[in-house]
Amino acid sequence: MGTVARLEVKEGGCTAAIRGFLHGLLESRAVGAVMVAQRLPRKVLRMPALVTDPHRLEGIDPFSPCFALNAARMAARLSRRSMGVRWAALMRPCEVRAFVELVKLKQAGTEEIVLISFDCPGALPTREFLRSPGAETAESTERFLREAFSGEATGPELAHACRACEHPVPPSCDVHIGLLGTDGGSWLAVEGRTPAGQELIAAAKLPPAEAPDSREAALRGWIGRRAAYRDALFARTEAAVATIEGAAAYFADCVLCTNCRVACPLCYCRECVFATDVFEHDPFQILLWAERGGVLKLPTDTLFFHLTRLAHMSTACVGCGQCSNACPQGIAVMEVFRTVGRRTQQAFGYEAGRSLEEPPPLSVFREEEFPEAVGLDPRPAGG
Amino acid sequence: MNARIGKALVVGAGIAGIRAALDLAEYGYSVVLVERAPRPSGLLGQLDRQFPTDRCGMCRLLPRVERDAASADCLRRGLFHERIDLRLNTEVAGIEGEAGRLRVRLRRPSGGVDPERCAGCGRCAAVCPVEVPDEFNAGLTMRKAVDLPAPQCFPHAYALDPSACTRCGACREVCPTGAIRLPGAERRSFRILLVDDEWSVRDSLKEWLEAEGFSTAMAASGPEALAALREKAFQLMLLDIKMPGMDGVEVLERAKQISPGLDVVMMTAYATVETAVEAMKIGALDYLIKPFDVADLIPKAVERFERFAAAEDPPLTVGAVVLCGGSEGYDPLSGKNPYGYGVFPGVLTQVEFERLTSATGPTGGRLLRPDGRGAVRRIAWIQCVGSRDAGEEADFCSSVCCMASIKEALLAKALGGGDLEATIFHMDLRTAGKSFQRYRDQAEERHGVRFIRARPHSLTPAPGGEGLRIRWVEAGGESREENFDLVVLATGRRPAAGMTALAERLGLPLNPWGFIAAVPFSRCRTARPGVVIGGTCGGMVDIAETVIQASAAAAEASRCLQAAGGGQGAEERPAELSDSVLRELPRVAAVMCRCRWSSPPAETPEPVLFALGRDPEVATVETADALCTPEGRRTLAAIRARAGANRLLIGACRLLQQPARLRDIARDGGLTAGQVETADLALCSARTPPDAQAALFALRSGLARLKRSEPPAARPIPVAPAALVLGGGVAGMTAALVIADHGAPVELVETSERLGGNLTWLTRTIEGADPRALRDDLVRRVEGHPRIRVHKGARIVHAEGEVGSFVSFIEGPDGEVRRLEHGVVLFATGGREAPALGFGYGESPAVATQAEVERRLSDGTLPVGALDTVVTIQCAGSRREPRNYCSRICCPASLRLIEAFRERRPELRAVVLYRDLMTTGFAEAAYTRARGSGVLFIPYPSDRPPAVRPTGAGAVVAVEEPILGRPLEIEAQLVVLATGIVPALSRELVEAFGGRLDEDGFFQPADAKWRPVDGMAEGVFACGLALSPRTIPEAIATAEAAAMRALGLLGRERLFASRIVARVRHSLCSRCEQCIAACPCGARRLDEELGRVIVHPVRCQGCGTCAAVCPNDAAILEGFPPPQMFSILEAALG
Repeated sequence: MGTVARLEVKEGGCTAAIRGFLHGLLESRAVGAVMVAQRLPRKVLRMPALVTDPHRLEGIDPFSPCFALNAARMAARLSRRSMGVRWAALMRPCEVRAFVELVKLKQAGTEEIVLISFDCPGALPTREFLRSPGAETAESTERFLREAFSGEATGPELAHACRACEHPVPPSCDVHIGLLGTDGGSWLAVEGRTPAGQELIAAAKLPPAEAPDSREAALRGWIGRRAAYRDALFARTEAAVATIEGAAAYFADCVLCTNCRVACPLCYCRECVFATDVFEHDPFQILLWAERGGVLKLPTDTLFFHLTRLAHMSTACVGCGQCSNACPQGIAVMEVFRTVGRRTQQAFGYEAGRSLEEPPPLSVFREEEFPEAVGLDPRPAGG
Repeated sequence: MNARIGKALVVGAGIAGIRAALDLAEYGYSVVLVERAPRPSGLLGQLDRQFPTDRCGMCRLLPRVERDAASADCLRRGLFHERIDLRLNTEVAGIEGEAGRLRVRLRRPSGGVDPERCAGCGRCAAVCPVEVPDEFNAGLTMRKAVDLPAPQCFPHAYALDPSACTRCGACREVCPTGAIRLPGAERRSFRILLVDDEWSVRDSLKEWLEAEGFSTAMAASGPEALAALREKAFQLMLLDIKMPGMDGVEVLERAKQISPGLDVVMMTAYATVETAVEAMKIGALDYLIKPFDVADLIPKAVERFERFAAAEDPPLTVGAVVLCGGSEGYDPLSGKNPYGYGVFPGVLTQVEFERLTSATGPTGGRLLRPDGRGAVRRIAWIQCVGSRDAGEEADFCSSVCCMASIKEALLAKALGGGDLEATIFHMDLRTAGKSFQRYRDQAEERHGVRFIRARPHSLTPAPGGEGLRIRWVEAGGESREENFDLVVLATGRRPAAGMTALAERLGLPLNPWGFIAAVPFSRCRTARPGVVIGGTCGGMVDIAETVIQASAAAAEASRCLQAAGGGQGAEERPAELSDSVLRELPRVAAVMCRCRWSSPPAETPEPVLFALGRDPEVATVETADALCTPEGRRTLAAIRARAGANRLLIGACRLLQQPARLRDIARDGGLTAGQVETADLALCSARTPPDAQAALFALRSGLARLKRSEPPAARPIPVAPAALVLGGGVAGMTAALVIADHGAPVELVETSERLGGNLTWLTRTIEGADPRALRDDLVRRVEGHPRIRVHKGARIVHAEGEVGSFVSFIEGPDGEVRRLEHGVVLFATGGREAPALGFGYGESPAVATQAEVERRLSDGTLPVGALDTVVTIQCAGSRREPRNYCSRICCPASLRLIEAFRERRPELRAVVLYRDLMTTGFAEAAYTRARGSGVLFIPYPSDRPPAVRPTGAGAVVAVEEPILGRPLEIEAQLVVLATGIVPALSRELVEAFGGRLDEDGFFQPADAKWRPVDGMAEGVFACGLALSPRTIPEAIATAEAAAMRALGLLGRERLFASRIVARVRHSLCSRCEQCIAACPCGARRLDEELGRVIVHPVRCQGCGTCAAVCPNDAAILEGFPPPQMFSILEAALG
């Protein structure tokens, strides 16, 4: 654990406190820019914005229950080559974890970026958020935070992804903002977890503080509830997609719009293989398929599309749930990706987003891996 | 592709023969590779796993550049290379002439299965009534007289064993393709004279032999026999030894005068066996001990008949002959057999054990007790059965059995689970090779293999049927006994009888151990120019050394071919015209075979033809007769032309899938191999009409492959013709000479001021040869060679580049820097004696290292006359971490020093303190000599090394005597420390060329066994001590091998990539670099300037790992386009 500093929460709540913190960073030139979620004028959804002027932070809303896209992609785009200044990105834990994966996949850089994250209370499904009254106001966030931390939620239910998320705290970031266990949100515990993060806290001139005692217990309770939800989700989903028939039924409504792929922060290919000539089947071949059963559903390859995506990125899936958010057909895409991703990650002793040091499983070649699968086991089958 | 004028004959297609043949073929010569057996790959073909990988890996012998010349298949299944003519079931009948122009006669058995015809249906074996032990399974199972020579062999052709065949003709009747010719149809013309004074013997012989179809005549006495011989020609005489009047030996002598070519087999009672052996020395071929059985006699008669009737191939003229005939396993039954081999069930030889653990072996790889009562739990290995045993005429070490037993012990543990107990009884455990010692230590420490230094004195069945009981005496004298389920005898190796006979016919001298003798300092040159040896026919060596010696033999053979005018032939370029055809839209002609051989003629069912014809890209579907015949091939070409098709789909059988056949078909049709596909519909071998569904699947996958096949992109890489050789010792100079003699310029860089390396101070080898003469000769030839430029006192300051185009900067003694372009680099940087540490070194003038003693001995400063006692301490710092490897030469070196001392002072007392005495191979004889002359050998445990206490002019050495079990103090005037060898290799420099060092600082070969002189990067090689500790002849062999491997690249102006090579579709690439991380060949890198991932087409071996990790097919493997793979899967899934 690094050093903890105290950020007082006054009028305007946690958002205002963060605004003050970021303002300080920009004004002291500790960073040249900050990427943070903003309320947009005359719109409801919050979007990431790159802020360079400390006076243009009024609309920021990092804790909002709205989470229209995974900002890791934006952070990756901004960090892949040099921007020329040090800059900070304030992101949710799942965004930071996706960013970590993208760094390892060489789609993002770490040279100039300082990652700031926080105890994430989760978010609503985008559709729910848009429907909720007063969503466009700043107050909606403070109310949401209060309810989330007191455990007395009255509004719509959180997205399934968030309810099943056992990572309300990111495993790796430079600065972490603790909301849990801080006397009902009367202050924020700002922690510099890396030298770069500690520099930022020093620049913001925050007074040191003791790490809040009750935080660990509160966190454990939170994670415990989420893990229980997650395990039920796994069980439910496994039962649904365990067979090819089950999986086909699960994705039967898919129209192959590929929105899930676009929304996925980890589908990093410039052009998806499904957009290339690889899946351009001969018409004669399609005819043969149709002849096999007398009728053929079109478009073809819908299940194959999802299976391919699972093969490609389930080892990197952080479970942010944006795929489900993006699906126009209401297919519970996230459930399948998390369920399968957990298995594929476990197979390699890997956890997506955990550490920059762990290489992605497929980039490592171990001769002695999975002997039963690759035929290296000298024992004859069944012997 | 390059081609050269010149042809070589390689005899023996074991791994040595394959290596030598491939090396010569890669350099561009054509090669005839003959093998007596019906399958290639020899002994190693029977073994599934080699240490240290515990896998086979033989395929790593296959070419790495221009891979398309060979078929990338398992070498245990078969060998195909466009410049190698592999002739199985073939023997050398004779070789005449001079180096450069040798006339070779080859012969084959009179009958057999024509592999061109055999469709592999197996009906012949099913009906064959004769069962004989299967050599492939080391006799553990039976096979038919006509059978597959090995499981999964390719071509999947059956082979007929003429010595087992009874010529009943059942196989010929059922063979659907008429591929079988019975052996010995002309037995009547083979005349056998039966000479015995007993009528009953003569008569039963006559009956037996005539039943086999031979002609016989009888003689009751010597004079009668001689009269018969004068009258008529006979091919074989069976001759009794004990006859009244003229005895058999005398008859033999006289008969040889009448008919020198006559084969004679002596018949003897047990009492006169010695006479029979004498008779063999004066020309008898063999003997039979009375009373004998028909089963003993007939094979001998058949064997002689086969020689008589064998078909000779048209004679060949070759420039050089490489003999790679290998060795034979020692047969415990031929000796005293103290361990009851063949008597007690559960006593096996190593090869039998290997077959038992093989998935294709008799038990499918399950370790079962011989009585079938459950799984094996306890196995013992007994080392040195028939090796290191002057009593069994084997005063040499077979060199391979120790490591083989350790590997087998680990294999047994892997198969049998952790609680299987493996025990190795050994004398010295000879881990004298790269990485061997650590492998042994791991076996003991990590896997719990038990090592017992003892020679068991008896092996008996355990009471109560509980397996086998071994009794032995511990070093301290107490007797022990334990029971085991299996006992594996580490039976050593012997010279191969066939090879010895051939050597004698060729006038090649044998060495004292019965192997073919090489000239001093060489492992491959024989007394006869133009005839060289590779592998174990010159003495026992392990896989890596076999491969090295085979390459060295190829180098020497290549020199002969070169000297005989073997220049550059025309460069064959990959066809370009037909490649462009692949860019056209597919238009496929599908031609189905109507099999002439099956009855009724089998053909593809009509619905299949119809279904195939529905594909809009299929231009025509036709059926034609017997596509495997020349007429069939013409029909194919005609149909293709008529249909205007640019691809050809053939529905036939396995016969048409043979690479050579496919090449012919493609050539006839003006197509490349990628434009022809054959589906195996098993038409001729099917016993029922072909299954329509299966046939359609096979055809559709072939069709899918054809339709989607893409043109290859030919990207030749230019090759700078020069070689850079680093190091001017014996290895560097030898390599430089081999390369320069082949016409390539060599830059030889030596950091010191003179050439010679370790030869500047070595004065004598264990064989008694003088290295100084060798050095002088090498230096003279190197310095006088027009194509070698020697840079003395120079070093490499910078190096970069890839195979074919390395660039190095050399700084000379004057400080001037030169830029060199070279296609390959050879590390011959040598090694030196490891520094001594401890053992009183530096505290007394009486304690010195081997090299110091050697130098003082040669400059006369060592007062040998004043020495009473000399102690040598072996492994003084080696074979323990951090130098946990055997330096191989120090044990023989100590024995050599002691011999040198004793020449001057015979009464000198010599004591060798050792852990395991590593006199592998023929060096064992020096060990035997030393023991015989009274040198005292005292083993010490590795954790209690001897202690040396300096005492003024001398020293006292304290060691624990294992037999007495108490400390012993020896006062010596000289203590010689055998410290071992350390390399002198710069990590930075090796890595600059893309090579790597191993954990001990030696050069890391690409594969310890199969590519022992090649580096991890293409075009980088090493030889001599830079590779590992070794003797002078061994170092020379590595130098010749590395030079030959380098010539394989230098011998061409450009390197062509394979058709199957990875490529990047840059427009799709997200540069995630997963492919770079995943590439096992280091063939990919990110070009920062271009912002692109680049593939080195020659380094790339086409494994496809990159294509598997790339999520969006930006990394693709040419030759396997994804749409093609989908279509094939689709067809296969129906």
